[in-house]
Amino acid sequence: MNSLLRRFLMVEWSGILAAIILGSALLAWLSPAFLTEFNIYVMLRSFCVALLVGFAQMVTLAVGQMNISVGALGGLVAVLAGGMMEKLGVPMILAIPAAIAIGALCGLLNGVLTERTGINGFIITLATASAFTGINLGITQSIPFYNMPPGLVAFGSDRFFAFPYLMIAPIIATILLGLFLSRTVPGRHLLAVGGNPHAAELSGISRGRITILAHTLSGTLAACAAILAVAQLGSAQPTIGSDWLLLSFAAPIIGGAALTGGHVSVLGTTLAVILIALIENGMVLAKVDPYWVQFVLGALILAAVWLNRWRAVKTGTD
Amino acid sequence: MADVPVNFFHRQSHMTDETISTERSRRGFFAGASAQIGLFAIVALLWVIFSTLAPGFTSPINLFGIGRSLAVDIVIGFSQMVVLATGGMNLAVGSIGVCAVMLTGFLLQDAGMPIPVALAGGLLLGGALGWLNGFAIVKTGVNAFIITLASASLFLGAMLILSKAVPYNTLPPEVGQFGRMRIWGYVSPLLFIAIAIGAALYVLYRHTLLGRQILAAGANPRAAEMSGVPVGRVIIISHTLSGLLAATAGIMLVARLGAAMPSVGGEDWLLPSFLGPVLGGTLLAGGSVAVIGTMIGAALVTTIRSGLLVLQVGNFWLQLFLGLILLAAVMADRYRGVFLERRSLGRK
Amino acid sequence: MVLAREEFMKLLCDAIRGLAASSILAGLATFGVVGLAQASDNKIALIPGGPHPYFAPWEQAAADAKKDFGIAAVDFKVPQEWKLNLQTELVESLAAQGYTAFGIFPGDAVGINSTMTELKDSSIPSAALAGCAQDPTDAAFCLGTDVYNSAYLGTKELIKAMGGKGAIVHLAGLLVDPNTTLRVKAVETAVGETNGEVTLLQTVADTDAQEAADQKINALLAAQKDEIGGMIATGYIPSVVASKSLRTLGDKRIKFIGIDDDPIVLEAIKDGFVAGTMAQNPYGQGYIGAYVLDLLAGGGCTIKEDATWIETPQTKRFIDSGTLVINADNLTTYKDDLKKVTTDIQSSFKDKYLTCK
Repeated sequence: MNSLLRRFLMVEWSGILAAIILGSALLAWLSPAFLTEFNIYVMLRSFCVALLVGFAQMVTLAVGQMNISVGALGGLVAVLAGGMMEKLGVPMILAIPAAIAIGALCGLLNGVLTERTGINGFIITLATASAFTGINLGITQSIPFYNMPPGLVAFGSDRFFAFPYLMIAPIIATILLGLFLSRTVPGRHLLAVGGNPHAAELSGISRGRITILAHTLSGTLAACAAILAVAQLGSAQPTIGSDWLLLSFAAPIIGGAALTGGHVSVLGTTLAVILIALIENGMVLAKVDPYWVQFVLGALILAAVWLNRWRAVKTGTD
Repeated sequence: MADVPVNFFHRQSHMTDETISTERSRRGFFAGASAQIGLFAIVALLWVIFSTLAPGFTSPINLFGIGRSLAVDIVIGFSQMVVLATGGMNLAVGSIGVCAVMLTGFLLQDAGMPIPVALAGGLLLGGALGWLNGFAIVKTGVNAFIITLASASLFLGAMLILSKAVPYNTLPPEVGQFGRMRIWGYVSPLLFIAIAIGAALYVLYRHTLLGRQILAAGANPRAAEMSGVPVGRVIIISHTLSGLLAATAGIMLVARLGAAMPSVGGEDWLLPSFLGPVLGGTLLAGGSVAVIGTMIGAALVTTIRSGLLVLQVGNFWLQLFLGLILLAAVMADRYRGVFLERRSLGRK
Repeated sequence: MVLAREEFMKLLCDAIRGLAASSILAGLATFGVVGLAQASDNKIALIPGGPHPYFAPWEQAAADAKKDFGIAAVDFKVPQEWKLNLQTELVESLAAQGYTAFGIFPGDAVGINSTMTELKDSSIPSAALAGCAQDPTDAAFCLGTDVYNSAYLGTKELIKAMGGKGAIVHLAGLLVDPNTTLRVKAVETAVGETNGEVTLLQTVADTDAQEAADQKINALLAAQKDEIGGMIATGYIPSVVASKSLRTLGDKRIKFIGIDDDPIVLEAIKDGFVAGTMAQNPYGQGYIGAYVLDLLAGGGCTIKEDATWIETPQTKRFIDSGTLVINADNLTTYKDDLKKVTTDIQSSFKDKYLTCK
């Protein structure tokens, strides 16, 4: 038994998992509403977009890059999808794949620009972020597209008991991404390039192509997140994505990713997003005074990180 | 820290375009200086273009406005740059800034302290909060990103709890007057403060032992430790300095706005704080700083933004053009560098 | 589900027709009252706090004011993002380009003041439109919604809809915004006046971003939808999101009062999911604002210090641009009511508040 526990503690995300279990137990005890079907649905639903946003940053972190434009790209995809469906009357079946393809193209553009110019990806994606936001605002003049197809809106709000249909998308994405990173050649190359670009190049991996791949993947995932956000909100809001940036870094890094690249964890990122969703839900449930919300948020993040750190030191996996 | 050797290679590969670094410092310096001349040339070119196209661009009121926004942006950039030097980052710059702002406001308005005392109080708080960040990072060994992400929330939260988000808007009139003061009709005194800070930082990194130790610790902590650099202490000092600079930027904003309010700083500072240093050539991986580059980098963005406003480029579309021009500027700078490199190689 | 297409189109057509009617009415009124407006060479800028759908009517208002009052230019200029420093930079830049008057929605009620002081130092008049600048201020006047009073009246309306008792929740905006503090106080005051019949269950703040609001409001409903008798939103975004959430929940028992007339909110009122919303008058704010600024900028008129200003917690020189409750009864006619308010304020403004040569 003891050795089983020890082996569990060796896993890098076990501290986060422990924090989640601890937090859930505490909330269940504090608020009877926590374990109701509707609240679980609400939490799962709020987790969907955040997870894809976290993944969108995670894949660029894997190769040692960053994508500052995740949110701007998401916002652009959201209003393009909305605009196509409302103003041009494009059916949903075509509009959504087209919008995701545009997201992938924007990601490709990030990748090609970073790779071809050799300029720091931070600066490139910062500049493209501004450009994407500019197109978004130019098209919408900050007025949302309200008239979304009923099917999409229903997908965003309907549920099977506590299970929101919206969650189908992130589940598929998690599985595919997990398989891609661990089982496929390009996936492993992604991490190899991030871990040690020189060694990777010496072993014949094209660093440029892998960087472009990571950015394209990042754009695709951000675009998927944007479509989910449209479904969830029931309208294509130009403000979608405006507060994704910090979250997109926080999730993978709390989940164990290295900012320098080469090391990411799909499961760790997922757990980090769950933790964040739990904290935010818990704060409303526990009726935390609005003036205290920020402080408690910071304290809880610190506590969770400290727990994981304590585990790492104890088990010597530092 | 199993990934240290990996990082080491990673950093080596970027060693060419930096300004000030311990290793190969002479070559690095010249390479960096030429990169800054390039960026500077682009900023100058933009000035020529904008003032030709729109005469309003060089009117005293516009120059004054540009200088004043630029001054604050530069100091915000510095507050990030000093931790980037150690290979860390400080996501709490905005939160520290707003804490200093509110304390200064409180000391001036509610406690009735004289202005110098209130300013010192705000700066001291900024330094203390920065020290707290550094201390937590060194003691726990958790990376700076996560610690400062959490502390950003903690500091902002503590400020909200204590101040109840009520702004201080009846400060002594001298404060606001200083922010509106014009030297020779078009220069803000805030700009001189920013330049003075830049000069001090330049001396710190170029000419002092501490500065070299900071850069060594940033380039390769393990090697630095072995050669006797107190890495932990250096990181704490850098974070304290970062807090101090963030507080300075905050207090400059108090003068500029004539009020101390809870909505300045926060997350709004995050991107600008990285933008100046990174455009100027500071590496995110650590071990290098570009003091003058940070100033020019901030000037590039302020120039483009102001130029587009004066040209009255389409309202909602403005951000698109801002992005495109920024992209064009960094690419022009890059290809100028590549071109020069090729030509010098050709001569050999 | 959210908006059937033809209903949306109808709403849109109503809005357009309303706007057209209003401009004609206002135009006639101008000619009637002011006489043939002198063509002026003033350049006036109307500047919101950032890109936001609330301010969309300002563009039309600017165009109408330019035409109706013969002003050289009335331009709707939007800061790139909702950030105070971007707004002040825009103002400074436009001042450098020779704009002669500014109608500004303060990106921050306190923070905008130093810019307004600078404008005044350069003899450029400015006014706070839609929301006020906090005294002491150099804004010539504030024409807008008294945030305190609107939140107070909204809460009263909610309490009425709930039959005078129950528990309510307040969905507030950005905590660091001085206006939020006022709204929180207003809701607490209104609740306090019921002598314990109505209780304030919880205040949820920082709901000014779509996604955060969606999460917080749904979590709130999950936690205590059975205890909640009513909700009041004092921000644009939370009122849109809460309208959508209540529709999804399908619960008509919870009474809800929102703010502003976003199509999602109006549609929810029509279908009975929302009790009402506090309408503001963005078009009127922009239209009248431009008219008055034109008079002030020419130097022909000055502000009458002893006029019958309304005093609010924010400023001593306030003019109500019209606050009314939209509910199922006046859903189709409220635009005309606002139009009438606009015409009334505009036609009597000169006599009431200005001293003209």
